[in-house]
Amino acid sequence: MDMGIGLWCLQSTATNPRSFGQAYQELAEDARMAEDNGIHSLWLSEHHAYYDGYCPALMPAAAAALAATESIQIGTGVLLLPLHEPHRVANAANLLNEQSSGRFHLGVGMGYRPIEFEIKQRDMSQRLKLMNAGLDALHSTTQTPTWVGISSEKAAERAGRRGLGLFISGAFSKDVVNTLIRAHRTAWEKSDPNQDTPPPVGLLRNLWIVDSPAERRQALNWVRSSYLVYAGLGWGADNTGVDFVSQIETSMDEVEKSATVGSAEEIAAELDGYDVDLVVCRIGYDQPPRTALTEVIERIGRELAPLVKDSGVKL
Amino acid sequence: MRLLLDLRNVSELADREQLAREADEHGIWGVVVTGPRGGECVEASAIATATHHVSIVVDVDGNDVHPTTLAEEISVLDQITKRRTMIIFRGPSRSRTSLAALLGGLPVEGVILSPPPAQASIPVYSPEEIPETNLPEDLTQLAAIVDEYRDSQAAFLIVSWERSIKQLARHAVGRAASTDFPQMVADMADQIDPIDQ
Repeated sequence: MDMGIGLWCLQSTATNPRSFGQAYQELAEDARMAEDNGIHSLWLSEHHAYYDGYCPALMPAAAAALAATESIQIGTGVLLLPLHEPHRVANAANLLNEQSSGRFHLGVGMGYRPIEFEIKQRDMSQRLKLMNAGLDALHSTTQTPTWVGISSEKAAERAGRRGLGLFISGAFSKDVVNTLIRAHRTAWEKSDPNQDTPPPVGLLRNLWIVDSPAERRQALNWVRSSYLVYAGLGWGADNTGVDFVSQIETSMDEVEKSATVGSAEEIAAELDGYDVDLVVCRIGYDQPPRTALTEVIERIGRELAPLVKDSGVKL
Repeated sequence: MRLLLDLRNVSELADREQLAREADEHGIWGVVVTGPRGGECVEASAIATATHHVSIVVDVDGNDVHPTTLAEEISVLDQITKRRTMIIFRGPSRSRTSLAALLGGLPVEGVILSPPPAQASIPVYSPEEIPETNLPEDLTQLAAIVDEYRDSQAAFLIVSWERSIKQLARHAVGRAASTDFPQMVADMADQIDPIDQ
């Protein structure tokens, strides 16, 4: 099992305002630091037209991180494919891989915010059709490793049938995660019985390494705060199907419950139960001070990664 | 007039990065880059990471892409380049109008870019607005060509040049900028500090 870090959203939020120039400069610095500490990958995330500048264009950001490094993998976790022109995405992905000797991973998802479809003049009710057409186009135009962000068994099956990797959302319980992985694997086996290497599975996890109960409480507060930032995306949009406002406390409790916070040994033991190739440690919150972020990057690379390297599957 | 070194036909990324670094070091105002459709800002981002001062002029294909998508890519690029982005836009004039407004911080059909460009407004030109030329090795001919474009009131000149970037900078940057360029100083510098080609 490899260890990655995410999600770098390059925001300037109301909870922790900062300059965008600083955010993009720190992306390159963080990628170099992760590389120096043996971390497998760094993952970026996309949204559009949100007040905090949530990164709307992942390919130029990925290019900056790849150009600043030599060995770490950089991925999109995820690029919202129905909002883009697939052939342009494929061209950019091919160029990123050519420039970085194959270090770019393309994670794609469908998107859920109506405003993002409106500003691109796309019909959100057609997002599955747009997604499938986009994946068809990518299949014929790029060899870039492609992962699909999913949150349902049906979506996992669709990715499995296409032989694409899975990128599983961070807040699911272990049972749900394993159900999604089984659905993905079964669909893949049925679609292509002659292949012997299944497509990879990546799992996003709210995760922080701590040494004391006080640090644990602090880390969990950062996780809760990160959900508040995330929920704001829903507050700004109608018809997402999720009642973010009335559910906020319950949702933050659930996110806290799903977080993996402890010593490196405790976290490794927890992760051992997942049959995944990659865990993306979700540490790109906006609240922790920079010193805390840099420390946890070092500890994930130097303490946690060696403990889990023989767990799950090696990419 | 400001000189823009054309990197669009240099085939290897390593060579483009090296030339961009030399342009950066020797005071060439900008480098012109491009990429496959959709990859233009990827290429520009890589060149920006290799440099600190030189402007990154991106030749983009605006056909078959939503102008907001293109504007988002360019705005992110401007954050990465730290205000060094300029655009040559090829595509429908209506898209160019939308793009220029968005990159100037103005709303278009209710959309405002977030993040905004780092610059107050990112310049957007069409290819016809910026002349291009191959500069000759002969320095007397080079001087005459640069003088001609400068005196025609061109704001920028895209140049292809296959010799030392320092020599281009020594003989053409000051001449492009001013009618008072003292050619004698450049010629004597060539004797005191010869440039390896």
